[in-house]
Amino acid sequence: MRGEELKGHLDALLLAALEDGPRHGYAVIEALRQATGGQLDMATGTVYPALRRLERAGLITGSWSVVAGRRRREYQLTAAGAETLDGRRSAWRDFAAMINSVLEGRPWPNPA
Amino acid sequence: MAESGMIADYLTTLSAQLPAPVVEELADGLDQTCQRYLNQGLPPAAAARAAITEFGDPDVILASFTRLSPARHAARRLLASGPVVGGCWAIALITGRAWSWPIPVAARALFGIALASAIGLLARAAFGTRYRSIRRAGTAGCAGITALDTTMLVTTAIIIPAVAWPAILAMAASAARVTFITRILRPVLQG
Repeated sequence: MRGEELKGHLDALLLAALEDGPRHGYAVIEALRQATGGQLDMATGTVYPALRRLERAGLITGSWSVVAGRRRREYQLTAAGAETLDGRRSAWRDFAAMINSVLEGRPWPNPA
Repeated sequence: MAESGMIADYLTTLSAQLPAPVVEELADGLDQTCQRYLNQGLPPAAAARAAITEFGDPDVILASFTRLSPARHAARRLLASGPVVGGCWAIALITGRAWSWPIPVAARALFGIALASAIGLLARAAFGTRYRSIRRAGTAGCAGITALDTTMLVTTAIIIPAVAWPAILAMAASAARVTFITRILRPVLQG
């Protein structure tokens, strides 16, 4: 998947990558790469400003730690971040169901 | 070594604009990306090239961080709230017949020049494209506005014999702005 197609979804992907516990920037990128089977084609350098943006929004917190004598910034999901991730997941399911109903002729899931 | 030279050049481009902690984090990520390619069996120069390509155009990374600049956000908020504070002072000065206050013309002119300079600096910070100059202009603009607000607060308190409600409102607006700048100054200075 190309970077442009990810626009609007990157925040949710980063929050999801931090759901299992704290990770530093490179580990977040690796988690996304593994979760997508290496299909994610994006400039990984842009993940770092996106993480800072999420931190500023209070959705994740960042802290420095020292690993093998090197300072490394680690990020962790906040309660607000977890809540936002739930909301984004729910919105994505609805969106995907709507698109599928049109593209693949599947019936729209009508609760009534 | 060619590979370390390539990565050093890449990081130099970023460190020319971005704060040191941000560059430190990017350097760590780039180093790990390069290490992954080395582990996959690429020769050092090819691994460095692949890591840089994967990381992306430094201008794109700089632009992303520029959009996040605390100085830019502070400048935009000050520019947006400026007309409100300015309007309060305009009403206070007109109703207080400020033209009759014992303030030398040179001091009035100096204040006007300082105000125009501060607004210019904030505009540069709000709409600039280079991270470092945005930080410099934003810091100077914030300092200028603080000095001007303080001058107005002190001058009004000393000169106006009976402070009326428009002056109280204007002083409250300036005090609120100084408080806001004090709160955001640390992230602005840290970049």
